[in-house]
Amino acid sequence: MLTIDRLDAAYSVLPVLKGVSIEVAAGQFVAIVGPNGAGKTTLFKTISGIVIPSAGRLVFDGQDLMSVPPSARAHLGIAHVPEGRQVFPSLTVMENLEMGAYTAAGRRAWRSNLDMILTLMPVLAERRHQPAGTLSGGQQQMLAIGRGLASAPKLLMLDEPSMGLAPAMADFIFERLIDIRRQTNLTILLVEQRVAEALETADYGYVLETGRVVLEGTNATLRADDRVRQAYLGM
Amino acid sequence: MTAPQIIENILQALVAGVLVGSLYGLMCVGLALIFGVMRVINFAHGDFMMLGMYAAYYIFTALGIHVLFGNGFGPYVAAVLAGPLLFVVGYGIHRALISQVTGTRTLGLDGEGHYAQLVLTLGIALILQNGALIAFGSMPVSIRTPLSISAWELGPFWGDFVSVFINKSRGIAALISGVVIAGIALVITHSRLGKALRASADNPVAATYMGIDVDRAHRVAFGLGVAITAVAGGLLATTYPFHPFVGLEYVIVMYAGVVLGGMGSIMGAFWGGMTIGLVQQMSTLVLPTQLQNTAIFVMFLLIVFLRPQGFFGRVVERT
Repeated sequence: MLTIDRLDAAYSVLPVLKGVSIEVAAGQFVAIVGPNGAGKTTLFKTISGIVIPSAGRLVFDGQDLMSVPPSARAHLGIAHVPEGRQVFPSLTVMENLEMGAYTAAGRRAWRSNLDMILTLMPVLAERRHQPAGTLSGGQQQMLAIGRGLASAPKLLMLDEPSMGLAPAMADFIFERLIDIRRQTNLTILLVEQRVAEALETADYGYVLETGRVVLEGTNATLRADDRVRQAYLGM
Repeated sequence: MTAPQIIENILQALVAGVLVGSLYGLMCVGLALIFGVMRVINFAHGDFMMLGMYAAYYIFTALGIHVLFGNGFGPYVAAVLAGPLLFVVGYGIHRALISQVTGTRTLGLDGEGHYAQLVLTLGIALILQNGALIAFGSMPVSIRTPLSISAWELGPFWGDFVSVFINKSRGIAALISGVVIAGIALVITHSRLGKALRASADNPVAATYMGIDVDRAHRVAFGLGVAITAVAGGLLATTYPFHPFVGLEYVIVMYAGVVLGGMGSIMGAFWGGMTIGLVQQMSTLVLPTQLQNTAIFVMFLLIVFLRPQGFFGRVVERT
């Protein structure tokens, strides 16, 4: 579904991604893990068109993404749940979800998607008329995920959904991701620093370090790998 | 002065304040879309209003609106028609020039591109003013309607005393202004377009992730803002004469109104403009006319001092 092929990206002259190749098949749950500054968020921004790569190919559903302007990529079926949540603070919870459903696919499936989102995260239903800026961090994260789901995407990209959350809330978010996956069979690309949970929930994983893929494999292979065990799982 | 006379004067000033305030409110709503909601500095806004006044004038006189709708209602039809015309002008100027310094181009720039916006729109203001001087001449003109010299009388309320006169021309202008504002408020709060505009202003990057074309949202907001202020100008032109530099007299009122009402609030901008109109007219009761504008700014400073976020200011922080 998504092919990232030898991708390079840089901020002015500082290289951030160096020949990154990642493959996400339809229906797969892929996790990208790695330390701070590895280029995970930049990779997502490149897929969404906010950062323009200096070399390499990006193909989504058979279409070359380079020829698709950033605001048109959501309409192809890519939902980006960004790092730091980035909800629309002055819009209400419902209006945020409606903006998620800005795509034609999202509008068609609005009723059923809204039901699913509010059932998964009932707190959003309670706060539906409240400005999103007044929600707690965890609630904002749920709203950001709900907003992504509302677009009825083919690919859901989640950038560190546990960032800045209390451990219990982070666990709750991970459980919801597993629920979403079970209910929708959606293709998911997840970036996480909580490596253990990420590798547990995903089918396939990549380890990104200083802009390069240093390791990849199925979740069982990665969790058995000595380097991963030592560096990320503390074993 | 007797008591009834004093009451009559106060009531009359109040009515005059509401009537002129509703037009100030309408202009402020136009600027609020551009400056308050989209956070773009537009120093040429007064001059777009001036263009709106001339547009209404020429639509009325040259396009035969005065034959079609008569001298009574023609000017109002012309003022409303100036809206769509100036929408096209605003949209076009944004596409050609202002888009260079707004929207996704200014993401992550120091001061959200405000410095470049300031210089660019100041330049546009100078070009519009001097262009209008060449095209229309420096003679003040006005759109004449017989309604501006007739009035509705309310009262008398106290025996034979205390009656209030509402100038028909200003009364109709205030009504049209109310309808336009209600329409715009509905569009901004309830329509898909309005929500997309607010989302783009809140967080342009996240709006792009939703599939919203943020640069187009900016263009539409700019065109709408210019169009609304142009309608206000056209309505104002039925009672006040105007000239190519008239924009300067109003642009300050508009910015003051938007800040008074609270950045980002459309209804706030309307009440901000209304407050300015009221203070301006009420001040004539106790102050010489020359001090009208001083009264406005004393009140402005007081409100900014006591309530810096404005009447309807957002308490929610932008991320």
